[in-house]
Amino acid sequence: MEPLDRDLEEGLLELPSEPMMLNMGPSHPAMHGTVRIVLELSGEMIQKADVQIGYLHRGFEKMCERGTWTQIFPYVDRCNYVSPMLNNVGFALAVEKMLGVTVPERCQYYRVVLGELARLCDHMICSGAMCMELGAFTPFLYFARAREIIWDIFEEETGARVTHSFGRVGGMANPPTKYFKDMVRAGVPRVLQLISEGEKLLLKNRIFLDRLENVGVMSKEDALALGWTGVVLRASGVPYDVRRAHPYLVYDRMEFDVPVGTTGDNYDRFMCRQEEIRQTARIIEQALDQMPDEGPINIDDPRIVLPPKQEVYTTIEATIQHFKIVMEGIKVPAGECYSYTEAGNGELGFYMVSDGGGTPYRVRIRPPCFATTQGLEQLITGLMIPDVVPTFGSLNMIGGECDH
Amino acid sequence: MSAVEIVLSVVKVLIMLLFFLNMAALCTWADRRQGAMVQDRVGPNRAVVHLPNMLARGIVLLPPALFGVLAIFSSLGALAGRAAAERFTVNVQLAILVGWFSLLVLCAKVRSGGAINKAEEMFADVDPRSFFFAGLGVHALGLVAGRLVPPASMPLAAQVSGFVLGGVFLIVALYATSRVPDGPIPLRLAGTLHAIADSIKMIWKEDFIPKNADRILHGLAPMLAVFSAIAVMAVVPFGPDLCFTDGNRNGTFDFSDLGNLVATVPASGACNGFLVKMQIIDLNVGILYIFGIAGTGIIGAAIAGWASDNKFALLGGLRASSQMVSYEVAMGLSLVGLFLVYGSVRMSDMAVWQGANAWGVFVQPLGFILFLTALCAETKRVPFDQPEGESEIVAGYFLEYSGFKWGMFMTGEYIELAFSSALLVALFFGGYSLPFLHADGITIAFGDTMLFQYKMTHLAVSIISALAFFGKTIFVTWVQIFFRWTLPRFRYDQLMKLGWTKLLPLAIANMMVTGVVVLALRNAGPAADSWLKLLADITQGFVAVATLAGFVALVVGLLEPVERKKFLASSAARFAAAMGGVKPEPQQA
Repeated sequence: MEPLDRDLEEGLLELPSEPMMLNMGPSHPAMHGTVRIVLELSGEMIQKADVQIGYLHRGFEKMCERGTWTQIFPYVDRCNYVSPMLNNVGFALAVEKMLGVTVPERCQYYRVVLGELARLCDHMICSGAMCMELGAFTPFLYFARAREIIWDIFEEETGARVTHSFGRVGGMANPPTKYFKDMVRAGVPRVLQLISEGEKLLLKNRIFLDRLENVGVMSKEDALALGWTGVVLRASGVPYDVRRAHPYLVYDRMEFDVPVGTTGDNYDRFMCRQEEIRQTARIIEQALDQMPDEGPINIDDPRIVLPPKQEVYTTIEATIQHFKIVMEGIKVPAGECYSYTEAGNGELGFYMVSDGGGTPYRVRIRPPCFATTQGLEQLITGLMIPDVVPTFGSLNMIGGECDH
Repeated sequence: MSAVEIVLSVVKVLIMLLFFLNMAALCTWADRRQGAMVQDRVGPNRAVVHLPNMLARGIVLLPPALFGVLAIFSSLGALAGRAAAERFTVNVQLAILVGWFSLLVLCAKVRSGGAINKAEEMFADVDPRSFFFAGLGVHALGLVAGRLVPPASMPLAAQVSGFVLGGVFLIVALYATSRVPDGPIPLRLAGTLHAIADSIKMIWKEDFIPKNADRILHGLAPMLAVFSAIAVMAVVPFGPDLCFTDGNRNGTFDFSDLGNLVATVPASGACNGFLVKMQIIDLNVGILYIFGIAGTGIIGAAIAGWASDNKFALLGGLRASSQMVSYEVAMGLSLVGLFLVYGSVRMSDMAVWQGANAWGVFVQPLGFILFLTALCAETKRVPFDQPEGESEIVAGYFLEYSGFKWGMFMTGEYIELAFSSALLVALFFGGYSLPFLHADGITIAFGDTMLFQYKMTHLAVSIISALAFFGKTIFVTWVQIFFRWTLPRFRYDQLMKLGWTKLLPLAIANMMVTGVVVLALRNAGPAADSWLKLLADITQGFVAVATLAGFVALVVGLLEPVERKKFLASSAARFAAAMGGVKPEPQQA
């Protein structure tokens, strides 16, 4: 029998181990079916993570180059299916920048209100899905209920609940309905009330806070180096908001605060979203007060905007114009432009080249998620498997626009 | 063991099995349908059994007709004195109850299905709540009217009221039968049939086993998971002991003695005949048996995770084994304080102690919270469902299970949920006892002050107590389901930290403090005893008042007008309305 006090080298006592490779996704509830993470695990600790996107590749940009400028609107809807109105507005602004036209004031306010409503949806679904993936289903239902209210407004305005395709070059598809302002004024306070009720279930819950605080920390410098924009950047402490830094539409007339985080962890990202919801409600309120009740929605330029249907059926000029726009597309002057707006999860940019024809020569989208998702590897390395879920959720990756 | 004891044991096993299996199915249904329930519906409601018309009519006709005939026959014999007065009151109140409740049901039917004659058209306009309030008023009137009847004519009044009650039952039976439409009757039972349909579907599904899995262990794991869940229910008492006398005086307990239930027992519950325990087996190790068997549930989860040849399942199995083993420690220690107070680990003694003194939740509040937490972790419920972790490791240890093997894991989990509620009830919520209900009837007393007394028969007390146990279990299960709906889940290391650094020290502290207090009280003398008795009575009073308030709140909540608080009818809904509206789909009912 060997003596108990025999000297043993510490290293020999450790069992030999090697990292476990684990494919997380693409068919995994937290990976949305569009992302795969190849993990190297030691126990449950992530030693190395390889984030791979591209399981939803649709060739968005190539599709855009095959149709006319106007036919792109349904495509941009599908890019971010959580807040399609913001994409509609962003793309319309890009084409208008190339054309060198500005839409009437009433349309600008209309676009601001609709876009901010879409932002509410975007933030609520992101926060709600994050809670749901942590196992808290009830807060998600509160947020989903609030979204229903906004969807009802969208349905009244556009006729569609999710993919509206409501933007047009030089205006919007339809003027606001008669009760638009009343509906929004009645709906937004109820949305805020539901948000507060949902938050009550979360923000005093120790489990929820423990899961988020100091998890997935991203420093200010790293966030900038990765090209992050939007909420995720602001949560890391950089107060960059396109609406404030480079105002478009009528955002320079609005008073709102840009919420900024301190540590850049999951909790900051969650709280920045919640605060932005309230700031968005402020913007909507101001925009409704300033929005004129009368006036044109579309610009007065028959080369860009379709003539009224009544005239198409009764006059030959309007018929010709209608066919020219539908069959050949709007003639955008040759040149190139980069137009950028603040979408739900960051800066949404369109880089476009025109050769003067009715079809874009080249479209390139700069989706906010693409830059954001490349930071995921850095965020989750060193964390545990359960942390992947809230961290990935807090980035608000949308498969539709992320894939290239 | 005599033949009658074996038969009784089988009956007791059947009672517990049927209760927990049905609870498992219902809990699965309730637990997984939150999204639907928030939208004011019960979820998928398509499972339907088409009853033949005659059968449906029989089901509607027979029970009330039987009750009616029984009421009439039992009124034929004359009663005298107090018995007659009691019979009169009960008859009148029952008749009124049956009356307004039937009108309520009829009103709902007419509103949803349309009226077939003039009288029913009137019902469609009446607010259903007014039936309830009118019923309450008539109940009170009936009580007052009972006082007006002179004692001499009470026997006659009792007989007449019995005929009236029987008549009401018969009228209800005949009218309800006439309302059953022709043709086969679809039976949906508010979507609960869907649970049965799901389980039938699971039996016929393909049993998929991964290619490199260990086939034997893969098949064994679900059996182990269900075994431990079912085996633990043996020691939980679900009713007070039944006392039978030796009718034929042969000194042995046989089948003929089953008819000789004693009429009344003294308040102490003492019995000098044959005792039948309402418990499958009364082990003297009691709760320790539960700890021992419940611990084997880990083996099922761990083996399932290992044998599945899947890394997610392996992680789930590892999580399950370490989590459940560590929480077993805290769970056991959090109950030691309770053992000190009750002075026993035998489950039946615990129930008796709580009935005679105070409920466990009042004597060991900290122990209750610790035990509840540990129990949730032990049964792998949210927020402790890391072994399952559906958003992280997909489904954990049962990821590679399909068909009825998966169903066995689910059944096991939900039997555990129902059983853990039963355990909580037995240990902390007084078991089968109700406040102020003793073996001889209701006695409301605080210390030595007697406020109210009402003698009841042994049979009545036993039935009420057993119903109380199952009712309490259902209530606690409902509360536990709410945990799952609301709370986010822990991270794995946080969970372990909670178990070892918070629950365990607190359990030990609770144990020590309880020990000191129990020792001090044992030596304090009779004055302290009477104070403790008064305190215990006050807690019983508190429970009684809280239960009553809860019941009133429930009724008020049910009576609130149901208005779908819609922000806007959407344009799709408006469009549908303009087209003449659409009939609600059965699955959305």
